[in-house]
Amino acid sequence: RKASTSITSEPVLVAHWLLKKTHSAQSPRNPEQKIIKRVIALEGDIIKTIGYKKKYVKVPHGHIWVEGDHHGHSFDSNAFGPVSLGLLHARATHILWPPQRWQKLQPMLPPERKPLRREQE
Amino acid sequence: MYDHAFAQLSGFHCSAKRSEWSCRGAQALECIWPLKQRFIQGCASARSCFPKSCWAPFHCRMLRNALGKTFRFLGYTVQYGCIAHCAFEYLGGIVVCSGPSMEPTIQNSDVVFSENLSRHFYCIRKGDIVIVKSPNDPKSNICKRVIGLEGDKVCTSNPSDFLKSHSYVPKGHVWLEGDNLRNSTDSRCYGPVPYGLIRGRICLKIWPLNDFGFLRASPNGHRFLDD
Repeated sequence: RKASTSITSEPVLVAHWLLKKTHSAQSPRNPEQKIIKRVIALEGDIIKTIGYKKKYVKVPHGHIWVEGDHHGHSFDSNAFGPVSLGLLHARATHILWPPQRWQKLQPMLPPERKPLRREQE
Repeated sequence: MYDHAFAQLSGFHCSAKRSEWSCRGAQALECIWPLKQRFIQGCASARSCFPKSCWAPFHCRMLRNALGKTFRFLGYTVQYGCIAHCAFEYLGGIVVCSGPSMEPTIQNSDVVFSENLSRHFYCIRKGDIVIVKSPNDPKSNICKRVIGLEGDKVCTSNPSDFLKSHSYVPKGHVWLEGDNLRNSTDSRCYGPVPYGLIRGRICLKIWPLNDFGFLRASPNGHRFLDD
């Protein structure tokens, strides 16, 4: 099982340009808006939250925990909680625009955001 | 005496008939035979008339014909696939429901028609029956009635509970409940459901035929709280 599926957090305006095969989710708060975030934890993982109503959260079945790369300035799972897998749209793989930033997006997990306990299978 | 004669007569008649049949068969054979022969002769003459170099383009044409047919077929398949995909995604489709959670309105294994336009235009109202991707399992769909939209006050407790608890539906969410309140896993169990999970709205019941038509109103109207 892959540890972190890449969900990038580029500014959303850029995100609309870089949609080649993006992993973006429909916002749970506003269904007309799409957000683009990084997957931090999968179902069954226990995660330490930043500013959520509970300090530790076990991600429920069929949900994921998503966060923006810019902590504290991102409207992510720390604001609205775990996201249902059914809201997931696509996986972001490349930045296409602007051209000087053309690159592949690497799936990486910030070391300080590693889940405390990973579901054993 | 008469009997015997009659028998003889009939026997004769039979044999005559048979002979007639056999005659006809022979004629038919004769008819086919020359044709076949003519065809073979024709083929032979064609082969002898045309030199071998003329046969190669003929093969090419056949190959091109076959390829053209295949590509045309593929093109049509792709076209109709796209049309079907768009229709199922944006217009609606036929859904078979199963399970007891919507019991008085929709029985087990009823066939219903769902339309997806109201989801795209955000005109789902209270009391509609919707098909929703299950929040816990993205592969399965559930069918429930919308009890409250965002900002509505809903009753979150079971009808049998002594203490009633109320809460407000958060922004971008809906509150779903089955019509069979005793046997339904719905928002009372997993909380409000994001609007983005709604797949379509059920508007018509198709099967069974004696119940054809629009769906009935909710049997638990008291669950709708107007404020």
